[in-house]
Amino acid sequence: MSMPASTADTTVIRALRLPDGWTPEQQIAQMLGLCEAQMDSAQQESDQSVDVLVQAFTALAEAARAVGALAADLPAQTESKQGQDLREQLTVLSKQTAAAVVAFQFYDKLTQRLGHVRYSLSALALFVCNSAQMQQAEQWQRLHSTLRRLYRTQSEREVFQMVMDGNEACAIRPALPADTVAAGEVELF
Amino acid sequence: MSGAHQQTILAVDDSASMRQMVRFTLEGAGYKVVQAADGVEALELAKHGPVDLVLTDVNMPRMDGIALVRELRSLDSYKFVPMLVLTTESGQETKLRGKQAGATGWIVKPFNPEQLLATIGRVL
Repeated sequence: MSMPASTADTTVIRALRLPDGWTPEQQIAQMLGLCEAQMDSAQQESDQSVDVLVQAFTALAEAARAVGALAADLPAQTESKQGQDLREQLTVLSKQTAAAVVAFQFYDKLTQRLGHVRYSLSALALFVCNSAQMQQAEQWQRLHSTLRRLYRTQSEREVFQMVMDGNEACAIRPALPADTVAAGEVELF
Repeated sequence: MSGAHQQTILAVDDSASMRQMVRFTLEGAGYKVVQAADGVEALELAKHGPVDLVLTDVNMPRMDGIALVRELRSLDSYKFVPMLVLTTESGQETKLRGKQAGATGWIVKPFNPEQLLATIGRVL
């Protein structure tokens, strides 16, 4: 992504005047609010696209299922080469459909995690508005604890812990183990 | 699924895409699926018509899945109905809360269709 030209940059900076009586705390809170609003906007747009995608997939998969049912009712062709080919293709379709059902669930998880990030930004924005609070270690610990409780999946907690341990954000992804998610795990009580 | 009686599953999740995936999987196996977007809606539906199994998410607005299980277990008609929790949460603490509320089992998302159907088959 290229940086804007310096003249345009100067124009933008002039247009974005700070309000009278601004404080660093208010500016931080506003910038955090901006991040939250941008995430919210992007998520709303994604919701619509994913809805369309899911509907399309479901329709296709149901059509494939109907073809499978029709093929099963064609006894004369079951012994032919075409019948065998058809069954093989339907098996491939069925396997791919099952894989897609698993993959489509990514969006639910993504939405949940983004929701937690948005809440974190909002909590931090509120926190920094109180400059006295910002000077107290105990208040920061309380904020950390609140955010720690917010993160409920294993991978979220691992990311939280790595950041709290002093790792930089860019160093976390490669350091996370591949199997951080206990997906598909079933436990009957 | 065999037999004349088509079993009904109440699927509860605030995510529309998750509800679609669950419905597609269960209907393909011959189940009738009733859907709700949160615990409050699910509780209303459950009171108006008995279902054979409840499959619920945990984190939802208005009423979460664990509170839903607890509420349903307090109803005579749901004392013995299997209730599975389908969630991204795999922490022991939340799982224990679900167990104490009366959940029958815990499945961590994303679910595998075959595995979900096998688990439902075991508890029904």
